[in-house]
Amino acid sequence: MSSFFDAWHYDGKSAAKRKVEVQVIGRQFFLLETERRHGPFAFADVRYVSQQGDTDVYGLADMDGWRLMLSGPVPADLAALLPVTRRYGGFIDRLGLGKAVIALALTSAAAVAVVLLSPQWLAPLIPASIDDKLGDALVGDFGGRFCHTQAGDAALKTLVASLDPNPGDLQVEVAKIDMINAVALPGGNVILFDGLVEQAQSPDEVAGVLAHEIGHVRKKHVMQALLRQMGLAVVLGGIDGNSGVLVNNVLAMSYSRGSEAEADAHSMQVLGKANISPVGTASFFDRLSELDGSAGNGKQNAGIAGYLSSHPLSGSRNAAFEKSIIKGKNYKPALTSAEWNALKLMCKQDRMAKSGFGFDFE
Amino acid sequence: MGDEMTEQNTAFRFHGSWGEFARIAFPNLLLTIVTLGIYRFWATTREREYLWSKTQFIDERLEWTGRGIELFIGFIMAFLLIGLPFIVIQLVSQGLIFRGEALIAGLVTLTMFVLLFYLTGVAYFRALRYRLSRTYWRGIRGGSDDPGFRYGLSYMLKTLLGWIPIFLLVPWSMISLWNDRWNAMSFGPHRFNATAEWKPLMKRYLLFYLAPFLIVIGGAVYGISLAVSGGAPNALGSTGVAIGAIVVLIAVLAFYIFLPLAALAFYSKYFRLAVGGLKLHNLEFDFRARAADWILFFLANVAIVICTLGIGYIFMPYRNWKFFIDHMEAYGEINIDELTQSETVVAKHGEGLLDAFDVGAI
Repeated sequence: MSSFFDAWHYDGKSAAKRKVEVQVIGRQFFLLETERRHGPFAFADVRYVSQQGDTDVYGLADMDGWRLMLSGPVPADLAALLPVTRRYGGFIDRLGLGKAVIALALTSAAAVAVVLLSPQWLAPLIPASIDDKLGDALVGDFGGRFCHTQAGDAALKTLVASLDPNPGDLQVEVAKIDMINAVALPGGNVILFDGLVEQAQSPDEVAGVLAHEIGHVRKKHVMQALLRQMGLAVVLGGIDGNSGVLVNNVLAMSYSRGSEAEADAHSMQVLGKANISPVGTASFFDRLSELDGSAGNGKQNAGIAGYLSSHPLSGSRNAAFEKSIIKGKNYKPALTSAEWNALKLMCKQDRMAKSGFGFDFE
Repeated sequence: MGDEMTEQNTAFRFHGSWGEFARIAFPNLLLTIVTLGIYRFWATTREREYLWSKTQFIDERLEWTGRGIELFIGFIMAFLLIGLPFIVIQLVSQGLIFRGEALIAGLVTLTMFVLLFYLTGVAYFRALRYRLSRTYWRGIRGGSDDPGFRYGLSYMLKTLLGWIPIFLLVPWSMISLWNDRWNAMSFGPHRFNATAEWKPLMKRYLLFYLAPFLIVIGGAVYGISLAVSGGAPNALGSTGVAIGAIVVLIAVLAFYIFLPLAALAFYSKYFRLAVGGLKLHNLEFDFRARAADWILFFLANVAIVICTLGIGYIFMPYRNWKFFIDHMEAYGEINIDELTQSETVVAKHGEGLLDAFDVGAI
């Protein structure tokens, strides 16, 4: 079989443009110039390059810059041997744009769903050693800001033991930082800021907040949040800049609300078991939601606002804790008044502990 | 064949149309959305294929042979080499601050920024190299054998030297780096020769550099003259306040309008000098857009984006390229038989870091 077709050709070695005739012989072809013959070339090596107007441009595998340009209607027998033209590339051309868009949208939705839901199952699978190392790397000795006195340590130990059956794998510390806040970090680290302890009106309040943070630890929320953030960063990495961060934050935020509710539930359950009244915790949130309205001035309020931003919706949480009060039940205080005093004064008495963040905010 | 071509007025011509580009840009937008942004590498490629194929140099169209996957790999590399270490280092330095090792944390962060600075220089170089190596004309491409690591060092050094004398040597560093970059590039067998001068750029730079001072001084002089002539706002009552407000308004507007305009005037001169100093064998280049052209172009872009509520943004690559080609000019002659294939290496990855930083073309 042999057929001819006029075309333009660059050999990729020089910029000279050659008018050639394509001579097809089986699965190979020659390019015939007036006095030269190029080839043979195998159709299997031909690659589609681009379209320029009504001209299709083809290249050849491993021949840099080799071009064959066919314009106008190409004979059917030649067209059958050439690679298909490319528009979007890959499977989008095979599926068609409409179907491809639907398929891609579903895939993206599935990927986001996996990233949002899987940390719940993945977090418990992360070995405790990694969790511990991470916590150790993050917290360390907290720059010497942890407060210690003999009586205070004992009081804290008693409190933790009453709230958790396995206090051994928890590291609960009070840090000399004047903010009304508490955080749960990887490796079972829970840090109560001294500002929170100082302004608390009863040990029951501290017990409720501490039980809440322990809830985060026991439900693996910290590792979950880390995994989720990393996953979202990867999945949404393709979206540039601010919109990606915004979507990421909105999605992560909706999950953090869920985690907060779970930690609250844990706190109420633990308080009930320990026979500690949730009244204190409820009134703590009550005070927070009152201050919420007038927040914005004064040092105290700045601390409250900090707690609110990481622990939202104090009004409804107050209600939930109030509901968990069992009337007529004979609650006992979380700590004796001596223990409570020791805990409250711990940071004042420990002169070795450094205060603040090491740099002044005010 | 020895056809030598002398070229007069229109070596570069653009044949594209809005309608054709829209048929690429809108599906691109759709696919980019449903893939959470990942398609944008293929979208860029499709746009470049179109823009290059509609660009005529002398008697033949350009051809873009870059692939979406190359840009994607470049992005992944940038993420692994920079994004991931960045996140890890941030975590580590946070941990260090927690532990009170603020000095070490500062050093780690500083090292990270120096490294980022260096890699930005390398990225500028490699993006240009990538674009030249994927641009074909008559089956011949450009490129460079220089990996750009040394350029990264000279980028750091010259940028810093430009900053040290209160930013007065920025024009020198910009032109000098442009020359360094282009002198390492080639097309076909020929090296580019970049000998742009920086001194003619200083007047425009000073216009931009001194603009804020001039505005402030002008405002102050006006205010003092008002006060001295007894026309202070108090004396004039409400009219005085109104005049004062207008003066402030004009000063603010001048700041936000005059400053960008001065910047454009500077950039227009920079680009004209930079391109004007460029030679390739017997070809000389010229960029004919004056400051007024740039300002009109910029204002039209802003108007298009605003009037289309942002959708017009997808036409910016088209507008930029058309502006670039419409004002590009080349003089001299090309010996087609001497223009042989480039021997430079071809990197398999695209302009990852530059893409990650969202830095524009050439």
